[in-house]
Amino acid sequence: MGRARAPVRAFLCFAALAVASLLVQRASGGALAPAEVELHYLGAGPGEGLPRVALWEELHAGAFLYGIVLFMVGSLLPSCRLRPAVRRALYAAAVVAALADLASPFLVVALGGGGAVRVATTVLSAMALLSAIGAVLATFGSGEPAGGERARG
Amino acid sequence: MAEPGLPAAQRAPALVFAGFLLLIAASAAVLFTEKLGLGPASVRDFYLGSEARFTEPRSLAGLLETAVPHLVAIPLVLFAVSHVVAAAGALGPRAARWLTGLSFALALAGVAAGFGVRWVAPWLAWTKVAAFVGLEGLLLGWALLLTGAAWPWPRAASGARRDLEEPGRQRRRGLEPTSAVHQERLGAGRLGEGQAGRPPLDHHGLG
Repeated sequence: MGRARAPVRAFLCFAALAVASLLVQRASGGALAPAEVELHYLGAGPGEGLPRVALWEELHAGAFLYGIVLFMVGSLLPSCRLRPAVRRALYAAAVVAALADLASPFLVVALGGGGAVRVATTVLSAMALLSAIGAVLATFGSGEPAGGERARG
Repeated sequence: MAEPGLPAAQRAPALVFAGFLLLIAASAAVLFTEKLGLGPASVRDFYLGSEARFTEPRSLAGLLETAVPHLVAIPLVLFAVSHVVAAAGALGPRAARWLTGLSFALALAGVAAGFGVRWVAPWLAWTKVAAFVGLEGLLLGWALLLTGAAWPWPRAASGARRDLEEPGRQRRRGLEPTSAVHQERLGAGRLGEGQAGRPPLDHHGLG
């Protein structure tokens, strides 16, 4: 476990940077303003919205990023000195927020509005993932997992 | 055969990963259909351009824009999923090697075939379609294997249900008698230790 700590932490730092960069990238494109979000997905007028294939491209890339990060974080959490309930809550929040974020562009297009939903999922998914990554970063390998629950089933 | 399965703590991330694999495969299928079309003729048109569709041949920069992220992402996903499935003992070592090799080969063929259609031979569009369909099928298979390795959930995995069956009945179903598996695990002291062809799982359950 001690030998794993350095590479695990290095990986987690990069994962946190990736999530933070994604948030900044989106924010710089107006993803934190509902009106900007609606303009991006729906366009200024009928027929000017983002092509449907672009929504799928976003889902495709997002599913890869979230899938890998959640898998790694979920695999590491059991080895962290955190209460089982906290581990479960952190992981469940990150998974739900990530799925909501992947679905939100489709929701905006389907509703013909609701840019605030996309803003919320952008912020919540980033916060949830960063919290989970931060928790692992702070507690991975620092003694036995708390709560008497060991990683091995 | 040793009882397959992941440690309880690793089941949720494995199931989540299986779900995301399905999302990746499903979105890839939609993108392939929308952008390249359903058959070799439309794939050929996509790469070589088409007067009927008013499209130009694909540029090297355009192909690399798609190829580069896929050359990182696909191997990473295949590495992760094959590693977990093999560590969980959900497949025999030989089958795991074959499936892993085939997955990587199809992934490489899929990426390379795009360049092949554009600059080597248009008939390689068949290779592109076959590699894509094959890889999609294998991704689905990996997701199912991952789900199988993660199933059942901790309560059932404690052996409560299987313990009810007598050893002979378990053997007829192709299962190791539970008592023998428990003995093997308890005797070894670590999960997976002492099982032929299966390295012990560490805290991450990743071997």
